[in-house]
Amino acid sequence: MTQTPLVEMIDIEKHFGGVRAVDHVSLSLNPGEVVGVLGHNGAGKSCLMRILAGAMVPSAGEIRVNGKPVHFADPNGARDVGIETIYQTLALADHLDAPKNLFLGRELKTRFGNLDDARMLREAQKVLARLNPNFKNLRDPVSQLSGGQRQVIAIARAIYFDTKILIMDEPTAALGPSETAMVADLIRQLQAEGIGIFLVSHDMHDVFELCDRVVVMNKGHLVGQHAIGEVNKDDVLSLIVKGELPADWCARNLAEAH
Amino acid sequence: MSNVMKTAARGGLQLDRFMPEAAKLHRLSALLTLVILIIGFSLASQSFFSVNNTLTVLLQTSVIGLLGIGMTMVIITGGIDLSVGSVLALSGVVTGMCVKAGLPVIPAMGLGVVAGAACGAVNGLVITRMRIPPFVATLGMMLIARGLALQLTGAAPISQLGAAFGRLGNGALFRVVEMQPNGFPKVIFPGIPYPAILLLVVALGAAYILRCRQIGRHIYATGSNEEAARLSGVRVDMTKLYAYVMSGALAGVAGNVLMSRLVTAQPSEGVMYELDAIAAAVIGGASLSGGVGAVSGTMIGAFIIGILRNGLNMAGVSAFIQQIIIGVVVIGAVWIDQVRNRN
Repeated sequence: MTQTPLVEMIDIEKHFGGVRAVDHVSLSLNPGEVVGVLGHNGAGKSCLMRILAGAMVPSAGEIRVNGKPVHFADPNGARDVGIETIYQTLALADHLDAPKNLFLGRELKTRFGNLDDARMLREAQKVLARLNPNFKNLRDPVSQLSGGQRQVIAIARAIYFDTKILIMDEPTAALGPSETAMVADLIRQLQAEGIGIFLVSHDMHDVFELCDRVVVMNKGHLVGQHAIGEVNKDDVLSLIVKGELPADWCARNLAEAH
Repeated sequence: MSNVMKTAARGGLQLDRFMPEAAKLHRLSALLTLVILIIGFSLASQSFFSVNNTLTVLLQTSVIGLLGIGMTMVIITGGIDLSVGSVLALSGVVTGMCVKAGLPVIPAMGLGVVAGAACGAVNGLVITRMRIPPFVATLGMMLIARGLALQLTGAAPISQLGAAFGRLGNGALFRVVEMQPNGFPKVIFPGIPYPAILLLVVALGAAYILRCRQIGRHIYATGSNEEAARLSGVRVDMTKLYAYVMSGALAGVAGNVLMSRLVTAQPSEGVMYELDAIAAAVIGGASLSGGVGAVSGTMIGAFIIGILRNGLNMAGVSAFIQQIIIGVVVIGAVWIDQVRNRN
């Protein structure tokens, strides 16, 4: 590969006492690539993504961004190098409104160091309108917004800043069909801008439609890593459930090659 | 956009017609209670609604108010500070001892406040580093600070601290006194007590921090959803530490005000004041589950308690009955908080 990958995770391990949540996993992501991360609950995929997001410190292993080794002590470290995360829980502060959530931890300030709420509101209006033109309730605490609106805020927060790598943990789980389509469009758009995306999903349809590559985790191990054309949904399912490809996969692929 | 979206948007609009009012409604109802109390006591006692008594209430409320402001910050982070009553005593004792040791009053009071802030810092560190729940950590500090205050003084009050020590608690701005021909002074206007001015300044400062500064925003975010705040890059531990240090320092300020008023450092002063402070915050709309609260609300809450005490005194209600009434008010306020959360 001539291109330097955006991210390389090399031999990552994470132990909780005797449990190996992530066991010697190596994974890379190229600019403009969408990689689907699949696996059962507890397979270690969320754990791996949290390590990349800086929310969890690995027990061992190295992370390189644009070829340079990095160490994240907290989520700020990851954000500083352009890694943004959309968590499945959305990670929103319920009592705060949309602009306050969007800029949480990265508040815009006036010359005197006061919070510049007027500017944050204007910026939030712009970025939210790009994602959902109907988004009007910018002054309401986000606890009063619909699941779709909350998801939009979480997405807006991840793309507003200078994002290079985007981790999306089940971004469409709370969404209806039209909003899911909006997210799919957004992913393609970001991909065209050269942003690398890890898409954690249970939805096989989304994964096959949007991803260039799938990686499958099972019991903390990375059990498969395939370009989307190499495998079908049954193969991926077998990797998720059994941790291995079906017995006939090799033969089938050879046959297709001929 | 689909119908799903539109319905969702409409649902949101309908909801926000009721919901965001809830916090304001709580504050408004507290304000209404305050007004009703004032009218009621004015009718019950002629001397209640007078300049002199108003200033007395201001003076009496300033201590609860100062404690309540620090408590509000802590409560918004989702915590609680049970140690403020004891820290108040310890700070006053530290100031008293410094004055006795020959230090001028202002640096001595500064050291007293620093002692309070140090207690707050210990609270914050025990909570964030040792992962001890705020209730337990500050309960421990409540005993430690009280024990220290009693041990340092041998449980005896420190008196004869001089007139300068008493100025903060007993002085007043714009005091107008006229000498009468018979040689006795006549107070034309008793002046605005220094503690009331101090309370106003501190309240404005705290409101500014909570509304206009990043740390204030982070205090709300931490109490609203600690994990989300952490994932958003908020230094949750530093934010909590800040709130507890502020609470401790303001307990120190309150301690100095109170001891100065008595012109005596009393190691046994301030018992159960933490409950008044919590009550003031909660009556004013702060939620014990975090993320909600405002200095303005706490001020209303502090004045409800202060006026209740003062008015009941003037109406000749016994101290025992007063305790019962304030107890009922505290339960009522927390009950309102619960009902609000359920909705």
